[in-house]
Amino acid sequence: MHMANELLSVPVAAGALAIAAGGLGLVCRKVREAVSSEKTALMGILGAFVFAAQMVNIQLPVMPGTSGHMVGAVLLAIILGPHPGAIVISSVVIVQCLIFQDGGLLALGCNIINMGLVPVYIGYFLYKAATAGRFSPVSAFIGAMIACVLSVEAGAALVCIEVGLSGVLVAPFGTFLTAMLGVHFLVGVVEGLLTVAVLAYLQQVRPDIVKDALQGKVRLSKKMVMVTFIIFTVLIGAGLSLLASEFPDGLEWSYAERPEEPEFEPAVENKDSKIAAVDDFQSKYSPLPDYTVRGSELGMLNAEIESSSGWTSFAGVTGAAVTMVVIWLSAYLLRKRKPEAG
Amino acid sequence: MHHAHIDKFAYQDSVIHRLDSRVKFIVTVLFTAVVISLPRTSVSILFCYAVGPFAVLVLAGIPLRFVFKHILIVSPFVLVLAFSSVFYDRSIVRIAFGPFLWEVAAGWLRCFSILGKFIITMMALIALVSTTRFGNLLCGLQKLGFPNILVIQLGFLYRYIFILIDRAHHIIRARSGRKLKNLGVRREVKVAASMVGSLLGRSIDTAQRVNIAMEGRGFNGNWHSLSRLRVRASDIIFIFLAAAFTAGLFIFVKPILG
Repeated sequence: MHMANELLSVPVAAGALAIAAGGLGLVCRKVREAVSSEKTALMGILGAFVFAAQMVNIQLPVMPGTSGHMVGAVLLAIILGPHPGAIVISSVVIVQCLIFQDGGLLALGCNIINMGLVPVYIGYFLYKAATAGRFSPVSAFIGAMIACVLSVEAGAALVCIEVGLSGVLVAPFGTFLTAMLGVHFLVGVVEGLLTVAVLAYLQQVRPDIVKDALQGKVRLSKKMVMVTFIIFTVLIGAGLSLLASEFPDGLEWSYAERPEEPEFEPAVENKDSKIAAVDDFQSKYSPLPDYTVRGSELGMLNAEIESSSGWTSFAGVTGAAVTMVVIWLSAYLLRKRKPEAG
Repeated sequence: MHHAHIDKFAYQDSVIHRLDSRVKFIVTVLFTAVVISLPRTSVSILFCYAVGPFAVLVLAGIPLRFVFKHILIVSPFVLVLAFSSVFYDRSIVRIAFGPFLWEVAAGWLRCFSILGKFIITMMALIALVSTTRFGNLLCGLQKLGFPNILVIQLGFLYRYIFILIDRAHHIIRARSGRKLKNLGVRREVKVAASMVGSLLGRSIDTAQRVNIAMEGRGFNGNWHSLSRLRVRASDIIFIFLAAAFTAGLFIFVKPILG
């Protein structure tokens, strides 16, 4: 689910960065008030634990040859509480970006929101809501399952919305959304199963860790897994079909295709205020004027041939390539010479 | 796994390595923003922009094979999205490149534009990270106004990542030594859960011991760094060159290449 830079436009990326920075700042303040300094080491090491836990993969039953692993956002939120959990998972996303180059630097804001803040808080509050009142193993199981599936789906839906707002999407918005939600439903179910199983294991082996999170005994039984799986499939199926009927294809197409096919614009803009609002948002927050004038781009491409300006692009590309070769060669020669001199 | 397995090149020395981490960070962010905001149908200008991070990587002595291997590892999601645009944007455009003329689907242009931007911004990011020690980067981020608690968190995380990944490797090796076939979903989940659970338990124990040791040495939740960051003449030259390169291409070359 890590987003790369080029799936976003600069305004969306900047907005998301601002939201993520504000959110993280708020969470940091909350944590400083609530958490003593002895938890700083715990939070840091649990962040490293997330990386290690992601290496433990299991084979997925539905698609042979693929394997899934756990992300741990909901697990940490349940064990640590929402604010420290949010900081731990956000720091994991930052390190994934900076050290492992997973996700772009500009997309970092989106990634923090999609994979850090939103899943942790949604997951935590869903779990708390499900286990509120009288505690039972069933409610803990259902709660953790719902928390994992919905938090992952929320992140996936946000990815679609951000990409859609950026106008990068060429595929219809609905198709993309359905595909993302479908794939991440499976991811969420695996996450949920593992989360519940880990909680059950911890309760038996290390009850001190989950004392506050689990009051009763949690067991992972086959029947329960099957029942939740069926319920979720039905729910998600119903949800998706509802969504499909809510947004007719035409609107989706015009929404997604608008940047490239300017003739779509007047037809839809008059009827629907949503498109106009999105359009307004984009034109208002685009810092680079050239960026919004998309209508002329294709025209320019065709005009290129008429003025035989293919040669300019040829010159640009070969020039860049030659420059790179020269840089590399000179560095190579210089480095070769160095040991001889020294 | 050795501590410096992943960012081993950050411990080399070169002109680029010696630059202030704040300068490198800001230049990388701005460069990325400019590259992303290039029009989505122009591919040739991207080649020109690639020269920048390429020069920095070569100057810093980072092996290019390492860079491209790394980009390949993180690319699957982008690859899917880039190639899907080929199927959805089928309007035909004519492309001229030197003496050649093609008629292709506009989707191909977008596909290559997405891939090109991805590769360039990844090169820039790798150039930043593999020429800056993570500790210095954190120090710079703190000076730039990152919350203290997040800086400590990232510092701890970075310090323990390699230790815990080592532990995970031990556990996984033990599993693959004993498990000779697929055990079915339920057993698989149970085994994986006990692995993750024991890893979590041990991590929490480690954290307690680390905390006691750190408090014994006077840690009170604040992060102090010995490394002093200074903006020197070389930093200013770097900023000037980067700005001239990025803005120059944007203002003078982009209108020509389209």
